[in-house]
Amino acid sequence: MTQVNSRNIFSIVLPSLIVVLAGATIPFLVGFNQYYVLLALQSVIMASIALAWNIIGGYAGQLDLASFAYIGLGGILATMLMIEHNITPWLGMFLGAGVSAALAFIIGFPLFRFGIKGVWYALSTAALVVILHEASIMILGPFDYYIPFVEGWYYIRFRTWENLYYFSLAVLAFIISLNLYISRSKLGYYLKAIREDEVAAEAVGINVRKYKLLALVIYASILGFIGYLYIVSQRTFSYNTFSGPQSVYVAIIGIVGGLGSVSGVFSAALILKIVEEYLRGYLGGVLPGLHLLLFGTLLIVVGILRPEGLSSLTDTLTRKIKVKVLRWYT
Amino acid sequence: MLPSPGLLFQSVLDGIFLGFLYSLIALGLSLVFGVMGIINFAHGDFIMLGSYLVWILANSLRSDPSLMSIATVPLFFVMGAAIYTAIIRPVLGKEPLIQIAVTVGVGYVLQNLALMMFRAEPRAVQTTYLNFYLNLGLVSVHVAKLISALLSLFIVLGVHYLLTKTWVGLAIRATAYDREVASLMGINVGKVFLLVFSLGIALTGLAASLWMTFGQADPYIGSSFGLLTWVIIALGGLGGVSGLLASSVIVGVIQSLTMTLVSPTVSLAIPYVVFIIVLWFRPQGLFGKG
Repeated sequence: MTQVNSRNIFSIVLPSLIVVLAGATIPFLVGFNQYYVLLALQSVIMASIALAWNIIGGYAGQLDLASFAYIGLGGILATMLMIEHNITPWLGMFLGAGVSAALAFIIGFPLFRFGIKGVWYALSTAALVVILHEASIMILGPFDYYIPFVEGWYYIRFRTWENLYYFSLAVLAFIISLNLYISRSKLGYYLKAIREDEVAAEAVGINVRKYKLLALVIYASILGFIGYLYIVSQRTFSYNTFSGPQSVYVAIIGIVGGLGSVSGVFSAALILKIVEEYLRGYLGGVLPGLHLLLFGTLLIVVGILRPEGLSSLTDTLTRKIKVKVLRWYT
Repeated sequence: MLPSPGLLFQSVLDGIFLGFLYSLIALGLSLVFGVMGIINFAHGDFIMLGSYLVWILANSLRSDPSLMSIATVPLFFVMGAAIYTAIIRPVLGKEPLIQIAVTVGVGYVLQNLALMMFRAEPRAVQTTYLNFYLNLGLVSVHVAKLISALLSLFIVLGVHYLLTKTWVGLAIRATAYDREVASLMGINVGKVFLLVFSLGIALTGLAASLWMTFGQADPYIGSSFGLLTWVIIALGGLGGVSGLLASSVIVGVIQSLTMTLVSPTVSLAIPYVVFIIVLWFRPQGLFGKG
């Protein structure tokens, strides 16, 4: 039973509103310094990817390691359509989302049909990225593609980064609301039941296959949609966009943040991105890979000591804030 | 255009040699997964670590990498015990996702440690005694590959003997079969786990020194070895050594043939395509018991 009353809508929309308002001030705070705006843009995109992963990985508990398969497919499709046929990304991004969703369905249907889960699910999705990576070397060739310079809302691409940043912020707000909506909906409760105990979920009459597949398709279509934004923010694309290590990194953010915790995953994405940028900027020349070394250590510590991740911190915090806000609101 | 039979035969032979080395790598992972239920995503990265160690030792001693196994195997056995105690034991019996997360963390640490210390350049040892070819008319045999294949086969069969014919092996198999009953029968399950995990890591130390007789060390070989090893286990099923050997050789030959006949790019992807198809239609593996 889904109960969406006014208070639920309030708690679904309010966090994204706060994020948008707080996020919108950042370009002003940094004085439109393009380096910081680009950093903010990349953080917002990483948070969006991690929150999309949260639906399949966090709520449904399926360790998906294929996020960059969907990002690459949707993003490269939208970008190629724009470059080759001058088709606006407004259409291309939706097409990308559709193609990624179709791929997820083609891969997910047999996987869930044959009851593949746990390590075998993770491996199949990792294998998917490798296959697409090698296939794209053959199709795209071993080159980096640069996007020719075009400008304007028709291309969602600008001389400076602010507009793209605001656009991505709106997309992030939508993804946050979608996450919060799912977590309060029938789908969300089904997915969490599947994550906790698949056999028990099946026994109480949940169509496990159907809902896992639904979560996978939602996740893939969001990533297919974001793909274009990711590529524009990176300025280039190639077969390396289908990146296995990046896909694992997304899962790491989801786990370190806490499975199924929107605030935890959101903060983890931001913190890890900022730490990564800081370490890369100051020590990258001397010690490449230092930030990944730290993340690896963090992952071990979180896995052993606090499997609930950052969420144990952020959940208390948000609960406190929520109580205060609700008191003020009522 | 049909390639000459000599080329085909050569390629199949190379694939078989590579397959035996894969079976040695997969054996450790399969033991750890089969007995302890631990999903180790860092297995390949231990081979990467081992190959750097072998590279350093072999170059400073000016000796053959395969001899370095005298040092790497005991060292890796001890390291395996330490990692088991510190990192693996706390996540025993936890859900797969947590185990994967922790071992991915270990892999990340090893990989980036290597990246920081050695940079992303492939390294090969300077001195090897085995790096020459025997010309046998139709095919020429790379002696380093032949020796590492034979040694791998020997060790895999040796571990099989250990598992099936000794008391320790009986204890390991009993633990794999039913942990609680085994512990009621007086088997120290904790010790068995410690032994199995250390053995698994020690085997990667050996595999690394064999790999370095003809291969190269670079920070990223771990990820490709790791994924490929899981593919082999999925194909072989957890039945036993024969399934493991067969699926390793199949993967090796597929890789080698596609490399010769199609392209190196395709040869990297084909094992995974086979893996996904097998997983769909025979989830218990090609040789696993239903």
